[in-house]
Amino acid sequence: MRKGALCLVTFIVCLLSVGAGSAQEGHPLTGTWIGYWEPTGGPRNHLTIIMSWDGNKVTGAINPGPDAITLGNVTLDPEKWIVRIGAQRKDSSGKIFGIAAEGQLEDLASPHRKLTGTWLDGTIRGDFRLVRD
Amino acid sequence: MTLDWFGISVKTMKCSVMVLTIGALVLLSAVPLVSQAPFSSVYDAGRQVKLQGVVTRIDWVTPSAFFFIDVKDAKGGIANWAIDIGNPLELERDGWKRSALSIGDAVTIEGNPARNASTQAYAKSVALTRTSRRLFAPPARRTAVAAAPAPRWPDGQIRLGPPAGKTGYWGAPSSKVLFDSKAGKIPMNEDGLLSNIADADKVAPFLPWSKALYEYRQRNSLKDDPMARCMPPGGPRQFQTPNGFQFVEQRELGRILVFHGGGNRNWRVIYTDGRPVGTAAEAVPTYYGSSVGRWEKDTLIVESVGYNEKFWLSSGGLPYTDAVQLTERFTRTDVNTLRYEVTVNDPRTYSRAWTGSWTIQWVPDQDIQEYFCEDHADFIR
Repeated sequence: MRKGALCLVTFIVCLLSVGAGSAQEGHPLTGTWIGYWEPTGGPRNHLTIIMSWDGNKVTGAINPGPDAITLGNVTLDPEKWIVRIGAQRKDSSGKIFGIAAEGQLEDLASPHRKLTGTWLDGTIRGDFRLVRD
Repeated sequence: MTLDWFGISVKTMKCSVMVLTIGALVLLSAVPLVSQAPFSSVYDAGRQVKLQGVVTRIDWVTPSAFFFIDVKDAKGGIANWAIDIGNPLELERDGWKRSALSIGDAVTIEGNPARNASTQAYAKSVALTRTSRRLFAPPARRTAVAAAPAPRWPDGQIRLGPPAGKTGYWGAPSSKVLFDSKAGKIPMNEDGLLSNIADADKVAPFLPWSKALYEYRQRNSLKDDPMARCMPPGGPRQFQTPNGFQFVEQRELGRILVFHGGGNRNWRVIYTDGRPVGTAAEAVPTYYGSSVGRWEKDTLIVESVGYNEKFWLSSGGLPYTDAVQLTERFTRTDVNTLRYEVTVNDPRTYSRAWTGSWTIQWVPDQDIQEYFCEDHADFIR
């Protein structure tokens, strides 16, 4: 019974995925990015990052919702398509941690372009990988 | 165990096979089509090829007619080449018919080979090998018929469509590219591919990110052009497609419809009933935007917002964002000539508003013909 349900779900996901490849030809960072960052040997942390270009700067949030982290300084170096993301988050005690990420934008022409690089959360360093949804 | 899905019973033991098979089929069907890719992205204009072979198949379909020939190589092997002879509507307008060529004819073609080393070429000339009689050549530019004043409605307003009691449509744009008119002449081909990438700065007043993205597209020979995936020609590009367009002025309804011969026969609505333009943030993003027009003397001025970010502003790969506002000016200077001018205002992409323009020629006594981008996607290599 479970196997049958799994089959149906897989099939429906397969169908739905066809319509999801919608093009996006505007600013390369605009959109919703989904992925993770992962310290060396540590647990994988889910990331959803919303970014939007307003003509002067990139604005947005990490993991939107009640505990969203507002993006600070986000820069795009169009010569090499390097993206730098800065933000600050508070832990449950109110202590502030800096977030700094630097990544390479890849597969620029695809709506599902990729952003991969290094992620620093406080003193914990790791890698991150994001795909534009 | 048996699953009942929309009345179809399927044994679950076979379910995973079914899912994989259907999934693969669904994914394969989603492979982007390449049927109206820019010439520059498909063919190498810097290389020439001369082929002799026998015609095995003819596909007389838009936007490009193809025929196929079996070509013998030096070792006696046979390769089947796909020969692109361009838009059949233009070929027909220039007097060429499908019947000019028959299966079994031995032909000699000269042209440009495909970039990807496949057995495909664009023919610049096709001749019967036996008689050397030339069959197809690139369409010649048509000469305009004698100019008469622009037609008008009884109240004196310019008619954008055919003169009363006649047929025709707008085709043959003087330019298939868009660039800042202040730049003067910029060497580029019909696809908007710059002869010198260093001229990018002249094309438009880019911001750093948009210039880099434009150059990226140029360096890739425009292969990522959304129109190559049969996406509609949004924005100004709708007036540069090979199959033309037509205005249908519904004056009693306060709107003008623009029927496109290209872009999968889409249409666009320009409201002339006095409604406000609105803002980009309020509009549902679309390929043709939310358009409101008004007449100033003999010029129709159309303000548009609400564009999605799914197309290129021009064949050369000009970027924009969904904040773009376009101001278009349509002036019918005589019965045969429409001057089109567009001002692009997108402060998220360009450092200032800029304007490009071209003219479009009237095609008298004809109707826009059927055109669907996907038609010959099955045999493009």
